[in-house]
Amino acid sequence: MNPLTRRSFLGSATALIALPTLESIGFARLAKAAEIVKAPKRMVFLSMGWGVTKETWFPDRQQVGTNYELPQNLSPLAPYKDDITIIQNLQNQFSTEAHWGSTFWLTGANRYGVPGKSFNNTISADQVAAEQFGRDTRFTSLQLTGRKADGHGPGASLAWNRQGKPMAGLDTPVAAYHRLFSDDNTPLEHRQAQLKKRRSVLDGVIADARSVQKGLTATDVDKLDEYFQSIREIEIRLSKEEEWLEVPKRFPQDPVNEPEASLKGYEEIKMMYDLMIAAMQVDATRVFSYRMPTDSLIQSLGATITSHNMSHYVQGDRQDVSENRDQTHAKLLAYFIGKLKASKEIDGSSLYDNTAVTFGSNINSIHYLTNCPTLLTGGGAGVKHGRHLVMSDPKTPLCNLWLSLLNGSGVDIDSHGDSTGGLDELFV
Amino acid sequence: MQANGFRAFVLQRARTRHDNQFQIGMEFHRAIHFLNRIAMKKGRPASFLTLGLVTCVASAQPLALSEIEGRIHGVMPESHFEVLNNNCLKCHDSVEEEGGMNLEDISFTMDSIAAAESWQKVLNAVNSGEMPPKDEDQLSVVEKTEFLGDLSRQLVIARDALSDSGGVITMRRLNRREYENTIESLLGVKIDASDLPDDANPGGFDTNGSALFFSSDQFEQYLTLGRRALDLAMSTGKPRPIKKTRFEAEEIVPRELHRFTARLPKAFNPSALRDRFVAPDGLEIDYQEIGYGLKAENYRWLNHPAFFLHPDSHTGAPLFNYFYEFGLPNFNLPAQNEGQKFIFRTRIALLGENVPEHRRYIEFGPAPSGIKKGEMNVAGFRKVTGTMAEPEIIEFEFTPSDDSASIVRIRERHINSLNAAKLFFREHTQKTDRGPPATLWVDWVEWEGPFATAPPVQSNPNLFVPKAAGQSKTQHHRAILENFAKRAFRTKAPSAGFIDRLMALYEDDVADGVSPNEALKEQLSVVLASPGFLYLNEPTFGDEHRELTDQELAVRLSYFLWSAPPDETLERIAAKGKLHDASTLARQTHRLLNDPRADAFISGFTHQWLHMERLDFFQFSYEKYPRFDDSVKESARREIYETVKDTILASRPIGELLKSDHIVVNNLLAGYYGISGVDGEHFRRVPVPSHHPRGGLLGTAAVMAMGSDGERSSPVERGAWILRTLLNDAPPPAPANVPQLSRLADHVLSARDLQKLHQEEPQCAQCHRTIDPLGFGLENFNAVGHWREAEVFEQIIDDLTTGKSRKLKTPVSIPIDPSGTLPDGTPFHDWFEFRDRMAEQESAFARGFTEGLIEYALGRPFGFIDYNMADDIMARAQAQDYAMDQFILGVVLSKRFKLK
Repeated sequence: MNPLTRRSFLGSATALIALPTLESIGFARLAKAAEIVKAPKRMVFLSMGWGVTKETWFPDRQQVGTNYELPQNLSPLAPYKDDITIIQNLQNQFSTEAHWGSTFWLTGANRYGVPGKSFNNTISADQVAAEQFGRDTRFTSLQLTGRKADGHGPGASLAWNRQGKPMAGLDTPVAAYHRLFSDDNTPLEHRQAQLKKRRSVLDGVIADARSVQKGLTATDVDKLDEYFQSIREIEIRLSKEEEWLEVPKRFPQDPVNEPEASLKGYEEIKMMYDLMIAAMQVDATRVFSYRMPTDSLIQSLGATITSHNMSHYVQGDRQDVSENRDQTHAKLLAYFIGKLKASKEIDGSSLYDNTAVTFGSNINSIHYLTNCPTLLTGGGAGVKHGRHLVMSDPKTPLCNLWLSLLNGSGVDIDSHGDSTGGLDELFV
Repeated sequence: MQANGFRAFVLQRARTRHDNQFQIGMEFHRAIHFLNRIAMKKGRPASFLTLGLVTCVASAQPLALSEIEGRIHGVMPESHFEVLNNNCLKCHDSVEEEGGMNLEDISFTMDSIAAAESWQKVLNAVNSGEMPPKDEDQLSVVEKTEFLGDLSRQLVIARDALSDSGGVITMRRLNRREYENTIESLLGVKIDASDLPDDANPGGFDTNGSALFFSSDQFEQYLTLGRRALDLAMSTGKPRPIKKTRFEAEEIVPRELHRFTARLPKAFNPSALRDRFVAPDGLEIDYQEIGYGLKAENYRWLNHPAFFLHPDSHTGAPLFNYFYEFGLPNFNLPAQNEGQKFIFRTRIALLGENVPEHRRYIEFGPAPSGIKKGEMNVAGFRKVTGTMAEPEIIEFEFTPSDDSASIVRIRERHINSLNAAKLFFREHTQKTDRGPPATLWVDWVEWEGPFATAPPVQSNPNLFVPKAAGQSKTQHHRAILENFAKRAFRTKAPSAGFIDRLMALYEDDVADGVSPNEALKEQLSVVLASPGFLYLNEPTFGDEHRELTDQELAVRLSYFLWSAPPDETLERIAAKGKLHDASTLARQTHRLLNDPRADAFISGFTHQWLHMERLDFFQFSYEKYPRFDDSVKESARREIYETVKDTILASRPIGELLKSDHIVVNNLLAGYYGISGVDGEHFRRVPVPSHHPRGGLLGTAAVMAMGSDGERSSPVERGAWILRTLLNDAPPPAPANVPQLSRLADHVLSARDLQKLHQEEPQCAQCHRTIDPLGFGLENFNAVGHWREAEVFEQIIDDLTTGKSRKLKTPVSIPIDPSGTLPDGTPFHDWFEFRDRMAEQESAFARGFTEGLIEYALGRPFGFIDYNMADDIMARAQAQDYAMDQFILGVVLSKRFKLK
């Protein structure tokens, strides 16, 4: 018997759960695997939608390397100046949509790249990582998103699957909490029966899908394939659930409450950060993406304008809102870094040491799509932090960064999107 | 394919000074390219051998080649060769190839993705000011404007052409609207599917199959939603007793006030309130004396004195804004009410005779948990006409959309924000030291319910076939399942394999001890997550553009006009094989259009056709526009739908949407427009005098609000909207990387003068020289559609002490200059003249409507292949004075509407 099942009586969704530290449980997979000697690698992608206030967000281009002055809008990150890297001159060459801050951020795809289609996308960097990192965790990856895609462009989250189709995201902290930590108190046999039933439902709909498929045109077969693909994904999910059936969902070392349904803006983002940390602590998944809300963020800070209005800032009220938004994001990110550093892994390192975090947007500011704001933190990919880097080519592909971070985190691929090579500058 | 590249041009140029020959060559070339592309799609490359044939085909078509040319590809006009030659080739020729860019060989016909990409790079580089380099020769302003203007337009055409699906209709998933309607039509229950993706398609319609994706999360949502709908529809529990509960306002309002004041300092005695306040010199309340203590000033906003001193606070309650709101206390409905209707009634009157028009309304709606204080989801409004001598009883319905206990509110209509209510209150206290006077009086409120909205679906023999003699329970359930699936699949029989599979699950369930009825319900919910239900599938079995069957045609027609499956009448006609008959089809089209379900088409299509999503983009400033509340906004939105509906159903010319002698409004909107004599919440035609600013889509509150940013009018948004929707000539998308104009950011300028900056930079002027002058014609309408003669705003200045700019309270007033020009240069001097000029653009407007209808009805982007169809529909409608219903009929009767 699993010694931890005693915990399952605690697993009510709303109960406040404080648990022993991570080490005492060890990694759940200990039940199956041999001993863990090293903490796993993780990746986090944070997209803010719209762009930044470029005058006050970017460091002076003349000050590169370690000796640079942290700009005003990033000042809340001052305590972590040695733990972050700001990169300039990255962009996605095919981006022409001035209001799409996330659609192609992690993919670098050409919207018009396929003849006969008015929209095309390709796999996102997080999903490339998930294909490898997701094998050993309960959840392959975790997509979080705000309720409105303001300034992010089409998509359901930051993630696009292997087929270039949008992947759904959890759009409230409550939904994320339940996905991660709600536990089923029903007896094991009952849960097994439930799983069996959910599987057989899939068998049922597949029987219909097969008959619908007969006689369809190639385009329609392609369309229906999205349905089959979804069923396959659920099958994988169910297999994992089965594999994990006897391992109760675990709870993080810092207690996490069921979030309030009314959380919006600042508090909502902060809670999502908390939930990511919690998910890392219990190793529920290793790949995270978060498409952050902007309208609700600035409104929670007292603004009465929309984020779209804000993004077209000129000196005055709108720029004030934009700068306040930048500074709040920096503050929230500093909070996240702090928590990453404070969380110890089983091998004595911290979550920070093993996680590669990217914060940015496909939009620079206003309608500018060059020099995408990019801020890295975390030690997961081996980036040498504490620097301000300005790429010599003003059109360095953003995908070169994704390639480097994926490689640095241990994903062995040769290219991603339109990458032309790695950003070696990051590591030396 | 470099034959018409730069080199070719130079060669051509050398041969002939006049370019006739060149032009002919280009046309031929383009035709080849077009047909090549079609051939490529079919998987076989075109060879020159097919060209002869191909040209014949092209010329056999009624469409003139000159008309289609330029639609096939984007083509950069040859006039720009010089620009390239003089400004680019020095570095970007085949020898230097600076930056990997060789413009010598660039194809002026954007006939491939590679060519379009190269031009996109040119556009990006010039737009951003990166090219030509600062230290090189620059383009003249005129050259640059023309170059960028042509390039951005041609790129749009090129992108459209390159992404043209060649007329392929992709099998489509039910979009969210259709899903809700389909469930309702099948099961008779309304469910809230707002957790599903909204399926909004940027730049297109939500019926476009190729843009409707499917995810694993969605699958699980469909399972859950289907199950919920079945639970609701099949509920067999005893109907709950209908209760009637009445509240006397003079009891509940003071109770609520006391509850609130319980938070006051201990020394304060709530029960003494009324006696204390009802004093002879009541207006001079001594807050100290009645116990407010030192914090008295902080609580003055409670407005207690005004309430308790009011003579009518003994028999009812004047609706003061007690808690910064003008409402009655919340009404809590019991839980477990999903799909059950409640009726609310209130006995209410106007307080006095001189109540201003805008303060004669109540609004009501739910206030779900998590909503901000002082806000509610406004579900409707009513105008109060009762008097204190003769109060009236107002009734409205409410149906909770989920099972949780519902809170329903009734209040005087006002801006849906606590801060707005505070501001309104403060403005009054500053003037009079008291809150705003009450204008409405409520005697009592009652709710009655719950009323079941539909009988259990099991009693419908069409869906749940009755048990046949000698059938076992399992056999009966199999028959139900089979019939249910056929109904859910829109009369397409499910495969035996599918039913076998589900029955196997059914039997497993029953063996596990699940009741047979429950096991059946489980399988029915699987049907509702199956592709046969979720997709409108039209298999071709190899015959790619085959005729639809009658049943498929019925489905296409009903999803076009109802966003829902066919009803029994339509099904019967289809089953008889009569639907392909043109007169039957026309009759059915009119029948469907006149059915209330056609609202799904009217609102669904119109919202997307007219880009009305902008109406919800902004929070309108309540400081500037305290009258533009949620009820006005919803009525304004509705006005557009009702105007379109009225024009279609009355078979009136589409041009009446550009200018007309009437408007279609309800009482609230009439009041908002300053038109009297319109009673009742329903929309109806109201004639307007000839020189009235209203009449036509331009000049409606909704369209004007869409053309603003919530604060100020935006001539740019309005001009772009006119180009896109009224003139069917959409400007290219806002370009990336154009340097923002902020030179005059700190100046006080009219909206018109702000736009003048656009004329300074070629990157902007290329489009804005056409866009902005159209918008100027509407400057007499402010951001919420009210008429104005001057633009008034507060001055913003730099504060020298902090370096930040701040608002000065001095209002600045700048008279409106509504003159401008049409894209062809025709000038206009004011709004009325502008509207007359727009009214002359009926055929362009009709063309845009036609293209939109084709796109919406067929579920794919309007493509090259549709030009003839659009021409035919236009010609047909024109013969009927462009009567709006004729366009719809034209689409339905077209050949393509009946083809896969």
